[in-house]
Amino acid sequence: MNGKLIIQFESVSVEFAGRIALRDVSIALDAQRIGVIGSNGSGKSTFARMLNGLVTPTSGAVKVHGLDPVRDGKRLRRHVGFIFSNPDAQIVMPTVTEDLAFSLRGRGLTRSQVAERVASTLESIDLVVHADAPTHSLSSGQKQLLALGAILIGEPDLVVADEPTALLDAANSRKIGNRLLDEIPQQLVLVTHDLRLAARCDIVLRFESGKLHEHGDPRSVVARYERDHA
Amino acid sequence: MIGLYQPGTSLLHRTPAGVKVLVFAALTLAIALTAGGVWTLPAAGCLTAALYLLAGLGIRPLLRQLCAARWIVLVMLVTQVIFLPVLVALTNTGRVLIVIVLAALITLTTRIPALLDATERALAPFRRFGVNPAAIGLLLALTITAIPVIGGFATAIREAQRARGAPVRLQTFVVPLLVMSLKHSDELADALTARGIE
Repeated sequence: MNGKLIIQFESVSVEFAGRIALRDVSIALDAQRIGVIGSNGSGKSTFARMLNGLVTPTSGAVKVHGLDPVRDGKRLRRHVGFIFSNPDAQIVMPTVTEDLAFSLRGRGLTRSQVAERVASTLESIDLVVHADAPTHSLSSGQKQLLALGAILIGEPDLVVADEPTALLDAANSRKIGNRLLDEIPQQLVLVTHDLRLAARCDIVLRFESGKLHEHGDPRSVVARYERDHA
Repeated sequence: MIGLYQPGTSLLHRTPAGVKVLVFAALTLAIALTAGGVWTLPAAGCLTAALYLLAGLGIRPLLRQLCAARWIVLVMLVTQVIFLPVLVALTNTGRVLIVIVLAALITLTTRIPALLDATERALAPFRRFGVNPAAIGLLLALTITAIPVIGGFATAIREAQRARGAPVRLQTFVVPLLVMSLKHSDELADALTARGIE
């Protein structure tokens, strides 16, 4: 899977128990850093979760680099990493090293290859000194860095982050935000309430009441969103 | 109770997980079969302490494991003393306590992936009966990881109730704990799916 991933939504609607979460969304995206903003319940998380098949469209078609996230979910998930807002819910193994190594299970790598990738990922997320620490003893910021590392170690082409800074303090939010926006080479879909982070993306999508309200230049979209919610 | 791995280079750290589990099973069997002997418990106790020292862990982790088992010891002892002579109750409880502490020694000296690999290898012959060894291994890992998380929920609930001046009652504690645990399991399921685990 080389080149830029193209995200395509064609007349996509999602309904949960009679409530419309997403209404007739059509868009094609190939920007490197895609910001997604909107009020609570506006449909932005539903949009993000559809990118690797966590949510199924009720009608319409979703394609991520030509693959259907529902039908080709298993194949696509190797190329789409997903970060949730609550890091506790993404940590599977009891220690930091073990959790990173868990992402490489079933990939046919030798022990030394796994150890090598774990070591370089630990370095890239600044958790070398916590390599053997129990995951539950980490701070929220460190847990979110670990969650990010557990995604990046799989070398995905697209990283989807659903409010990754929602539970973090200002310093850790900045750290995670900078890491996502400035340091990772992957294409990024960043769902966030932090409008400063959204404004640093290449394009911003704004959702309102399940509809894709507007999309375009980040500063303009964010400015209008702030004005409408002043 | 579930001791987390403590890095080291001792003989116990280097011994394969499967061998450790087999030796543990043999020791447990020996303790059970020689329970009537006067020297069984003191000998098993000394052996356990020696193994902790051999693993380079010292006596402190051993005491921590003994302390963590105090409620099990108390419940076992009280219920047995009602029906059995005190010496028999003490012997039975002592045996269980030594087995718990020995089991903890395995997790203290073995990385979880090595334990999971050993579990998966041991269960591989049962694949023909529909058993999925990888799923069972993952289940064990998730259980170990979930314990401190659910412990954190319990603390948060107690603190929230105290902050509102509400007395801590069983029903007002158990229901929110269940709800939070179920929500956590939902989120964990999504995260596993997102990480490619079906």
